[in-house]
Amino acid sequence: MSQKILVVDDDDALREMVGLVLSGAGYNPVFAGDGISAVDVFTSHSPDLVLLDIMLPGQSGIEVCKQIRSKSGVPIIMLTARGDTEDVVLGLEAGADDYVVKPHNGAELLARVKARLRPLSADAAVVQIGSLVLDPQTFEVKRGAVSLSLTPLEFKLLHTLAAKPQQVFSREMLLEQVWGYQYKADTRLVNVHVQRLRSKIEVDAENPKIVMTVRGHGYRAGTEAS
Amino acid sequence: MIELLRRSLTARTVFATLVLSGFALVTLGGFLSYSLANSFYQSRLTQVLNETERAVGLVQGTVAAASLTDETALQTLINSVVPSLEISGGSGNRQVALLRSPGQPQLQLFQSPISRDLDLTSIPGELRQAVRQSPGILTYTSISLLRAGSQVPGITVGAPIDFPLAGDFELYLVFDLAAEQQSLQLVQNALAVGGIVLLIIISLLSYFVTRQIVKPVEKAALAAEAISDGKLDERLPERGNDVIALLARSFNKMASNLQGQIQQLDSLSRMQRRFVSDVSHELRTPMTTIKLAGEVIFGNREKLDPALSRSAELMQNQILRFERLLADLLEISRYDAGAVTPEFEYQDLNAVVGAAIASIEPLAFSMKTEIQVILPPSSVDAEFDAKRIERLLRNLLSNAVEHGEGRAIVVEVGQNSQAVAVCVSDSGVGMTRQQLERVFDRFWRADPARQRSVGGTGLGLAISKEDAILHRGWLQVWSKPKRGTSFRLTLPRRADSVIANSPLALPPRSAEI
Repeated sequence: MSQKILVVDDDDALREMVGLVLSGAGYNPVFAGDGISAVDVFTSHSPDLVLLDIMLPGQSGIEVCKQIRSKSGVPIIMLTARGDTEDVVLGLEAGADDYVVKPHNGAELLARVKARLRPLSADAAVVQIGSLVLDPQTFEVKRGAVSLSLTPLEFKLLHTLAAKPQQVFSREMLLEQVWGYQYKADTRLVNVHVQRLRSKIEVDAENPKIVMTVRGHGYRAGTEAS
Repeated sequence: MIELLRRSLTARTVFATLVLSGFALVTLGGFLSYSLANSFYQSRLTQVLNETERAVGLVQGTVAAASLTDETALQTLINSVVPSLEISGGSGNRQVALLRSPGQPQLQLFQSPISRDLDLTSIPGELRQAVRQSPGILTYTSISLLRAGSQVPGITVGAPIDFPLAGDFELYLVFDLAAEQQSLQLVQNALAVGGIVLLIIISLLSYFVTRQIVKPVEKAALAAEAISDGKLDERLPERGNDVIALLARSFNKMASNLQGQIQQLDSLSRMQRRFVSDVSHELRTPMTTIKLAGEVIFGNREKLDPALSRSAELMQNQILRFERLLADLLEISRYDAGAVTPEFEYQDLNAVVGAAIASIEPLAFSMKTEIQVILPPSSVDAEFDAKRIERLLRNLLSNAVEHGEGRAIVVEVGQNSQAVAVCVSDSGVGMTRQQLERVFDRFWRADPARQRSVGGTGLGLAISKEDAILHRGWLQVWSKPKRGTSFRLTLPRRADSVIANSPLALPPRSAEI
């Protein structure tokens, strides 16, 4: 069964064109033209991924992103007209997994979509990090008996760090292994998602014990066992 | 003092007034005092001569009236007459001497009657000689007398007197001019005091008058300074109807016009920048659709007939070119809007130069151009935004390849204590002086007729310049027709510091061979 992708953009031509590109790659696109209907379509179709324009009539893409995140961890890729403004950071903080800057080409878009829909490798093992247990089969993170809800991206990020507790991961390495970038990309993706991850899993997000910062290098899994 | 004179117009004016009026006063005072002294002397002289004439007449009359029989009688008479001369007359202070002319037989008993205190040096030999040689008239000379320990001017008048029986005598009267001297001194003192007071008054007057004129000028100067510093609201107070008020009014009018012009230009250029930014943004969405559609058509061109297939190729290339242009327009409009925030990081410039060269190598290879690199042995660390500097270097390199005529391109990296630098030089067509002046202008091309092999947007160097400025660095160019072109980028080691000089020479050493 082909994966369903929700395309939210107010420009009819672009929406249709993105739909054609996605159909051509074997995906099943569904569409929304404004911020209000986007949430309705999401609820009725429960897509596997959302392509979300930031500038939308009705309500902004940022707002839509927050609403979708409040009920689902489905991958969200922002389509942004500006590469360098705070829109990107705002979108990432609202829960978007990745972003693509207009004008983008089809290959770029499909690569991003594919990377987000790629499942964890089948042989991924259950790992422990600090007081947390990660099960890649069920995407479940448990602290004792308490289940924590992470998005697939956050899970992948945490699992990547936890699988090699001895290794320090640079931001570039994480962009490649978690996001699937083959070339230099925006390191703010890593920074923002580490912050979001910490706020969910750390006991004290100001004083992280599970995802540690290695100044000047990147991040590593905390060694604290409890 | 000299510093003050050089700096302050007021001080200079007051000083000049002081010097000139001082000179005038001294001249006037000198003249006054000289003519006063002269007239005092002349009037005293007349008086003195009159008195002497009377005295001579008195002595001669007395002697003639008396019937003198012998020496003793003469002596007695003379002794009584001469002292009386000391007190008669208007001016009191005079001394008398009756001297016997030399060259006559000695009178046995005769003693010259001489006033007490009379210093005989007051009757110089030359005077006595002159007196003897001019009988019948009065002869006088100016002398200097000692009175109460100080020198005072005086006059000695002499006349020959002929006594029957006894022979030739000379009568001398010595007058002092102490009173006149004192009067003159008084007048001179008054003149001096008056002159000094006058000088002070003139100085103050010229100070106030100058201030009156200089102050508005000073204010205007300060206001002009403020305006040139960007405080366009600065104005002068306009009071009255005089030339100063006219200056203020003209100045204010000029400032208002200037302000209006600047604001108009400012809003025009803001509107224009806003327009470029808006257009660029509005173009992005349709651009994305066109690009995606073009790709789909281009990707399936084998299924089309040859003409359509070629059209798809042409369209695809132009879409890419359009996209580059749009990206550059957006970038420059970001700079214009001041919306660029660089990400400075302390890193090795050599690595960035290497990356830029690596990315340009395919183009250089296709143009059969060799790239020679001169790197310092150690790493060249500085604080900069690697993405922007790499883009800037890529741009310089692609320009060098495009205009290098296939001759080798030299890339040199240098460093000193405060700055790091990269110089990219080609030995190609070069540019004239007029072309050099416009090289950083937007959409400017050195030779519009030239075939574009690389297909830059025309904004590359304009963006590069902005990038350099963003880093507080320099992007400079040297070029000569047929010799080649060199671009030198100099960056401060610390993003917040200022460059004093570049570690590399421009024109580069390689260009001088």
